[in-house]
Amino acid sequence: MKLPSIILLLAVVIALPVFAHGDKKHVIGTIDKVSPDSVIVKTADGKSVEVKLAPTTVYVSKDGKPAKFTDVAVGQRVVIHATPKGTELIADEVKFAAAVATATPAH
Amino acid sequence: MFLILFLVIVLGLLAAAAVSVLHDGLSARATPSALETAIARSARKMAAPSTARSAKNPVADSLEVQREARLHFADHCATCHGNDGSGDTLIGHGLYPKPPDLRTSQTQKLSDGEIFWIIENGVRLTGMPAFGGTGSEHGGSDDSWKLVHFIRHLPALTVEERLEMEKYNPKGPDDREEEQEENDFLNGAPAKPPSKPEMHHH
Repeated sequence: MKLPSIILLLAVVIALPVFAHGDKKHVIGTIDKVSPDSVIVKTADGKSVEVKLAPTTVYVSKDGKPAKFTDVAVGQRVVIHATPKGTELIADEVKFAAAVATATPAH
Repeated sequence: MFLILFLVIVLGLLAAAAVSVLHDGLSARATPSALETAIARSARKMAAPSTARSAKNPVADSLEVQREARLHFADHCATCHGNDGSGDTLIGHGLYPKPPDLRTSQTQKLSDGEIFWIIENGVRLTGMPAFGGTGSEHGGSDDSWKLVHFIRHLPALTVEERLEMEKYNPKGPDDREEEQEENDFLNGAPAKPPSKPEMHHH
């Protein structure tokens, strides 16, 4: 009875696996648009990347202090660590710097 | 009758296993089936001897103990378990079985003694190594008992604590360079065009 039990256990252990999902991504650029559900980031090569926000998303200022979603604004430099889920990117951490004021030329 | 039924079940499972292996091989990227997970959890429950299960934590909990264990966890454990204990890490995803989410009841309902025993002795046929024994860089058994306190705290981990832990995570030269580039960019340096479309892999 011992051998059938081992065969049964091995069969159960090997059976029916499902593939896991992929690894993390970093999105770096300037915030082009913000909504409660997502941010759109313009990257250095001019592309727009949408990253979904989740209740678990952590917001951090560039000096490493905890922040809030309401601190995020258009024009800020941002580094987002995100997890791919299907065709979407879900933000784990949004680290941002305050927008640099654009100097107005004197007349 | 029982023998026939048993053989049918065994043949069915072997057929499923054969299909699975032929389709996916023995890839560690796969997620264990529910049945497999249940068996593994039972095995983990049985891993610790009964005397170890009833052992009490001899180290009193305190803010200092929590911080020491938190940074220890960040340095020694977070590569697989993640700073938050979720197991949502690159290495964690690549293990078979995956590291358990330490915040959930499956781990939290283990006794202090069981968690301590697993840290010290590891779990066979998983990615969990034994951190106990002589020659270990992990420290003495007190360090493991302190980690037990921290694992109990994981469901209530704060953002501030997690951010502090990130500074103590092991990093290779590429990670440090990437982190420096990100900080430079946030501090106003020009962005470097990505080598791959707008994203970097860990």
